[in-house]
Amino acid sequence: MSLRLPPALRRYAEHPFWQAVGLLVLAYVVVVFVIPLLPGSAIVPKSVVLQYMATVLVGVLIYVSDNEERWARFKEPLGALATEPRLKLVRGVVLAGVTGLVGLVTYGQVRTTVAAPPNLRSIHPAPPTEITFRGHSVTLTGLDNPLRQHPESAAAHLVVGKRIYYQNCLPCHGDHLDGQGHYASGFNPIPANFQDNGTIAQLTESFVFWRIAKGGPGLPREGTPWNSAMPRWEDFLTEREIWSVILFLYDQTGWTPRTWEKTVSSER
Amino acid sequence: MSDVLLLVQAAADTTRAYGEFPVIGARAAVWIAAEVHLMFAAFVLGVPMFAVVTEAIGIFGGDERYDRLSKEFTRLLLVAYSATAIWGTVLLFFLATLYPRFFAYLFAIFKYSAWVYAGLFFFESFTLYLYYYGWDRWKKGRAKVGHWTLGILLNVWGTIVMFIANSWLTYMMSPPRDIGPTTDPTTIKLWHAIANATWMPINVHRLVANVVFGGAIVGAYASYRFLAARTDEERAHYDWMGYVGNFIAISALIVLPFAGYWLGREIYQYDQSMGITMMGGFMSWLWVIQAFLIAVLFLTGNYYLWIGMGRIPGAERFRPYTKWLLAVLVLGAIVWGTPHTMIADSKELAAMGGSHHPFLGALGVMSAKNTAVNLMILTTFLSFLMYRRGNMRLVVPWARAGTMIQAAMFAIAAGVVLFYGIRGYFVDAIVRIGFSVYQVLAVLACIAGVTVIDILLGRGAQSLGAIQWGKMPPRSQYALFILAVTFTWLMGLMGFARSGVRQYWHVWQVMQDTSKYAATPALGYASKMISLCVLIFLSLVAFVFWLGGLAEKSTFVSAGEGKARHVGH
Amino acid sequence: MWVTNLKIVGVVLGVLSLYTLIANKIPQVQSEVPQALALGANVTPEQLVAAGEKVFNGIGGCTTCHGLGTRAPNLLTDEKGTGPIGARCGRRETGKTCKQYLFESLDNPTAYVVPGYQPIMPVMTKQLSPEQVWAVIAFLESQGGTVDVTASDIPAPSPGALTPGASPGSPGSGPPGFAAGSTDPKAIIQAAGCLACHKLDGQGQMIAPDLTHVGSRRDAESIRKKILDPASSVAKGYEKLAGIMPKTFGSMMNASQLEALVQYLAAHK
Repeated sequence: MSLRLPPALRRYAEHPFWQAVGLLVLAYVVVVFVIPLLPGSAIVPKSVVLQYMATVLVGVLIYVSDNEERWARFKEPLGALATEPRLKLVRGVVLAGVTGLVGLVTYGQVRTTVAAPPNLRSIHPAPPTEITFRGHSVTLTGLDNPLRQHPESAAAHLVVGKRIYYQNCLPCHGDHLDGQGHYASGFNPIPANFQDNGTIAQLTESFVFWRIAKGGPGLPREGTPWNSAMPRWEDFLTEREIWSVILFLYDQTGWTPRTWEKTVSSER
Repeated sequence: MSDVLLLVQAAADTTRAYGEFPVIGARAAVWIAAEVHLMFAAFVLGVPMFAVVTEAIGIFGGDERYDRLSKEFTRLLLVAYSATAIWGTVLLFFLATLYPRFFAYLFAIFKYSAWVYAGLFFFESFTLYLYYYGWDRWKKGRAKVGHWTLGILLNVWGTIVMFIANSWLTYMMSPPRDIGPTTDPTTIKLWHAIANATWMPINVHRLVANVVFGGAIVGAYASYRFLAARTDEERAHYDWMGYVGNFIAISALIVLPFAGYWLGREIYQYDQSMGITMMGGFMSWLWVIQAFLIAVLFLTGNYYLWIGMGRIPGAERFRPYTKWLLAVLVLGAIVWGTPHTMIADSKELAAMGGSHHPFLGALGVMSAKNTAVNLMILTTFLSFLMYRRGNMRLVVPWARAGTMIQAAMFAIAAGVVLFYGIRGYFVDAIVRIGFSVYQVLAVLACIAGVTVIDILLGRGAQSLGAIQWGKMPPRSQYALFILAVTFTWLMGLMGFARSGVRQYWHVWQVMQDTSKYAATPALGYASKMISLCVLIFLSLVAFVFWLGGLAEKSTFVSAGEGKARHVGH
Repeated sequence: MWVTNLKIVGVVLGVLSLYTLIANKIPQVQSEVPQALALGANVTPEQLVAAGEKVFNGIGGCTTCHGLGTRAPNLLTDEKGTGPIGARCGRRETGKTCKQYLFESLDNPTAYVVPGYQPIMPVMTKQLSPEQVWAVIAFLESQGGTVDVTASDIPAPSPGALTPGASPGSPGSGPPGFAAGSTDPKAIIQAAGCLACHKLDGQGQMIAPDLTHVGSRRDAESIRKKILDPASSVAKGYEKLAGIMPKTFGSMMNASQLEALVQYLAAHK
């Protein structure tokens, strides 16, 4: 504590107990209020807040107990709170507060709400090794976009892909390919944001092909509980059209598709 | 040849495909038997490894304590060994009666290696008996070296036994590609089936993990005896033993992630969709739990070291730094635990624009996680270094320069790790995966270089006072317990990951699981099973420890007056 | 001491419950067995047809002969003006519905050999599970006809349901073999339909290697191996046809038949 603090405050700042309390409060403020303020950021989900705070709490407990002297000093206020007659009022408040808090948390857990419960959808479930596209089978493993074999005609395919995108995909995935189409807010799960580094940038083109061809109905169970509204585009588009729209997605966003050799997933 | 085929076929046709086990069901029965067997097996493979190493330190370093420690380890082995065999037999019976058709299939391929396996068990048991009961007879000179050779032999048998068993389960995971559902098992060449894609990675991974596990269990044993100790001398001995166990466990743990990456890589190369199921599919959350457990291991291991500095005169010089190490570890744990796909309700999802957080999502990818874990490894190493330096006053003339070089090496390694971690965001996945190799190499090089310099630096160093073994608060011993439980649980979890990734196949894409237990359970159910297995294992181990205490006329007593009687805990 | 023991038990149980709790707190995802592989009681005709198509093109190995037009009748396309199989199956045998006929021709193929073709088709009910057989029938019916296969046609799986493609013989006795177990090599060759692809002493087709002088190229061991595991080696010049030879001969004849056949062929120098 190199800050110039008044002696009374300094006594608190050097006491391990109040340091611990301070650290916890600081961490909470950073996670809940500071992170959402950063440019391009958003609120942190409660599950993650809980996880971060638990980690910090463990760290703080280690800090106060990793040497005997500090541990003894840390326990002082707690011991005092439990026994000292002059703290009777504080003791009462703390006991009531803890009891109330437990009650409140329990209430929050069992209360029925109209909101859908938090859920985990696996955004990128494991693809099958092969699929049937309009009656003939397509092997996905090791498959690359066949339209890339002829770079000279790429421009033509891009034009087709762009037209397909604007005719079919635009209402949900949006003009900027960012998943903010006109209908997007009505869906749960929300449409994929292709600009995000976590979607097509992480995937092979064959995976994208599978998702477009089979849509929401083709998702395996880990892609639930909420069913994606994405249609099965194999009913409306030809194989070639799907490949050209994939070409367009990558071209427009500037991502390069994941390649096949020796890949290890980046998701953990 | 064809009549063998017909025999197998006839046997397979007349037996039913699946049996049923009362109450808990066939899968749970086999699960428990396999997991507990495996935990004991890991224990009896891991402990001899450092029994031999500690004996060698005793022989060549001339420190009697190590020899006694080694013998104490080996005594634990005797009972644990028969427990391994018992659970192995239980597993065998369960498999043969509950999954008869699958068992017949595996046996048709692996029968010769199964016979060799059983034979090696004999050799191993007798070597172990010779090793333990011959301890006091072959105590001096050349006989002692011969005795030590027995210990090495014990490890050789154990390792071969493990390799054989590994070939069975890796075959289930990654059968060679030319084997299909119609391939007759009797036509499969034995070596072809053994040398499958994941066999070697699993061998190496398990070899290292066994050392970690053995160290952790020995640490728990020592802490139990520490807490039960009546005399200061006893306490000092077990404090030291716990320290050695923990040291071995944590040092081997540092190597383990690299073996794990190799295994993951092989799985991806073998079958992309299996890899995706494992890392990104229905198992992706398992890795967040794993990250949590490993964070617990790192934090607890360091915590134990920091508390331990309290018994080293002179270590207070390093005290002020530990809180910064702690900060790095906590930040590392936070980054490592950040999920890529977050659990969120619909309002939060809408605010984030998907289940990737626009800002924290960057911490959820491999670049960030690799960076975090490498920095955590460096930090842990630094803790060890401080612990080691605790009571040393360096006397070599270049002490200051040497320490500066060490600091520079740390700085460079951390710099390399950070550089590639950040750069990983701007390159392709393929390139990015290559980066993890540079990060690992930087960390390993730093560890190796710093260790060498430190040994040279410590030559002729003055002591600021002997380590006051036994002067440890009890909470440090509970930390060792947490370590042991966490290691065991982690082993169960990783076993579930390895086995569950096959999903509804007995043998991946060769033999389908058509039983009613074909679906792979969710993590919640799996965690209950793992906890149950850990509990069974630990209860049995406690019994083994208790037996060890009964039989013993204490190994450490010979050093002292012999008055320390062990209480009948 | 008891206090310490209890504390240790407490720490262990506490850590275990913490981990179990966390693992149960996260959303639970179970990995299910894919639907297509288990045809349940309320399977739809579409699902059957889709599964059957997969079997037809894949594990069933049907396309090896049906589809080339030389070794077996075309099923998916017109066959000599009678239309695809779904359209003509009901008329093939008087008194048998399309479904009955298709099942019997899979169960006992040699009974309904179309004139002009060799009796080379293996007994499919031994090669495929009941689900797979009925899925194939549904698929064949869908080719120009109406699908009337339902879940009730599929017999309830026996406790030891077949793994796909496993070929069971009758328990204990082994297969009766071709030509009622005769060990006359010529009768075996005739019954097994070898000449549908191979040429021997001037008879037979030229799809596969000529066996007239096979004894000079391969010894008995090699011939035996090739029959039991056709994929083990490929004759020079026939690489493109590798995998066409059925893998089932080994399990269709008995040991003395195999031996007789092998010795007979090995003597063809």
